[in-house]
Amino acid sequence: MMRSIRARLLLGLLLLVAVMSLMVGSITYRRVLGETSDLFDYQLRQMALTLGDQASVLSGYPLPPQSENSDFVIQIWDIFGTRLFSPELPFVTNAVLGYSDLTFQNERWRVYVLANRTSVIQVAQPWSVREKLAREAAVRIVVPLLILLALMAVAAAWIVARAMRPLKDITTQLEHRDIHGLAPLAAPDLPAEVSPLVEELNRLLERLSGAFASQRAFVADAAHELRSPLTALSLQLQLLERARDEPERDLATSRLRDAIERATHLVGQLLTLARNEPEGMAESTSTVPLGAIAGNAVGDVQLLAQQRRIDIRLEVPAEISVKGDAEALRILVRNLLDNAVRYSPEGSLVQVRLSSRPGQAVLEVTDAGPGIAAADRSRAFARFYRAPGVSAGGTGLGLAIVKAIAQRHGAEVTLDQAQPQGLRAEVVFPVASGAP
Amino acid sequence: MRVLLVEDDRMIAEAVRTALEQDGHVTDWMGDGAAALTALGHSQFDIVLLDLGLPRKDGLSVLRQLRERGDATVVIIITARDDVRSRVAGLDGGADDYLVKPFDLDELAARMRAAVRRSAGRGDPVITHGDIRLNPVTREVRKAGKPVALSAKEFAVLEALLLRPGAVLSRAQLEDRLYGFGDAAESNAVEVYVHALRRKLGSDAIRTQRGAGYFVPR
Repeated sequence: MMRSIRARLLLGLLLLVAVMSLMVGSITYRRVLGETSDLFDYQLRQMALTLGDQASVLSGYPLPPQSENSDFVIQIWDIFGTRLFSPELPFVTNAVLGYSDLTFQNERWRVYVLANRTSVIQVAQPWSVREKLAREAAVRIVVPLLILLALMAVAAAWIVARAMRPLKDITTQLEHRDIHGLAPLAAPDLPAEVSPLVEELNRLLERLSGAFASQRAFVADAAHELRSPLTALSLQLQLLERARDEPERDLATSRLRDAIERATHLVGQLLTLARNEPEGMAESTSTVPLGAIAGNAVGDVQLLAQQRRIDIRLEVPAEISVKGDAEALRILVRNLLDNAVRYSPEGSLVQVRLSSRPGQAVLEVTDAGPGIAAADRSRAFARFYRAPGVSAGGTGLGLAIVKAIAQRHGAEVTLDQAQPQGLRAEVVFPVASGAP
Repeated sequence: MRVLLVEDDRMIAEAVRTALEQDGHVTDWMGDGAAALTALGHSQFDIVLLDLGLPRKDGLSVLRQLRERGDATVVIIITARDDVRSRVAGLDGGADDYLVKPFDLDELAARMRAAVRRSAGRGDPVITHGDIRLNPVTREVRKAGKPVALSAKEFAVLEALLLRPGAVLSRAQLEDRLYGFGDAAESNAVEVYVHALRRKLGSDAIRTQRGAGYFVPR
């Protein structure tokens, strides 16, 4: 199969021109042949008539001898059958008046016989002569057509090349790009057939460049954020090395352990976030009971809650299931709870409530902490965002992960003010109609 | 030396503080930029270790405001931002040095000594005054070539006075160098240390400016 549009167009056009020329040539040839035949017949008759008028005059005067390659063979008889004029060669005599065809000495002849008062005149012409003349006439018409065909081929090649130039320009532009060249293609005055392609390509490039930029930003942010726990680690190790006595060594060891835990936690969070990016791993979808998942998540943060004497109350009036990734949903609830427990004052209450609305499952986590100012709520979902002035030792990734997981499940996360004080996080899941 | 550590990361701050205190420095820790500016307005520090990414007020703003109000306290920026632009902005913003995280505690100590030495206009790390030689690196003091044993607080008082010979330091200013914000200073501690220093180095070593404070004669 031919891949090149240019070659296909060119071949198609040339084939078309060739077939047309053949058709025109053969039709012309046939026409010319027919017309010359009529003309020759007319000529035969005229000759016969002229000879008939002059037959009386001619008698007695021999006509000049007819050469062998003469076009015509003329015979004249008087009414008594006496041959008045005849070629030197023997030739057939034909009794039929008017036009007829006959074969003599392997050659086909066209014959016209005319009878008048005094004589019978027969004029004969070989078909080969007539055909040769007709062919010559036809060739005179077809040859220019063939030259025209060649010219058309060249013109077609040029036109096709010109029409394909925008494509070639774009190809050249793309050829000279490296993987960072994601700027839109500059292609002014595009033909209507190519511009949608280029527009789509540009849109794709734009999306790609956006995705690239966000990935780059993520890597840069992640590298920057990893520096702090790594710095803490390296410092604690140095302190351990320079510890002079047992209490100093113990303190340094325990702090080093904390620093390792912190770095591990950050790396884990980064990994979780990367896994839940929209372009991340494929969905592992099953029917997930949200109430049970919330229960598991409460268990995950129980230790921290006990340390801070925080009571977690879980309200699940009726189990509601959603389609999704059970592990990811558990992380979602755990992150919301972790934030709630970290930022709540000691001895306060954190509530987790599951409820349903028509077509929706609603998960709420409410704490009694400082909350997030309305102006900062949308920023709170950004990676590495930390509430100003508050140092709760978080990675700044918790809510970003919550949002990424929610998005993967088609759910909506919102933050608002809890009454009388604190933060209320609400996750609204779509539930397929018919499901409980 | 009295050090102000401005760092929002609790773990890093704790580690640096521990290391500085092991080296005999008095260290105060502030977790945000606004608090750091307040602390700098209240007390005299020998050196500020300043993080750039701070809540409430970022490090560069703190530095700018500090310099705008004519405070020439030595500032070393300690940050995770390692790009050239940030370094240039930090140094041009009035920082004396720039250290990128993660860093080595020994290097930090050396850079602190170097920065303080430069700000005092000295090339030699060892402070020589008459026949007294004080080495901030080894924390060794010699009088006429003989080593003199000093406590950490005595060393701090002597170092503070020797850094600016002739300048009078009040009792409060000396206390600032000896105690952080949380420490309780005994009422006559400075007199006790000065007395001890005079006993070990000779009564002429430290003079009293009545009603103003103490100084070492030029």
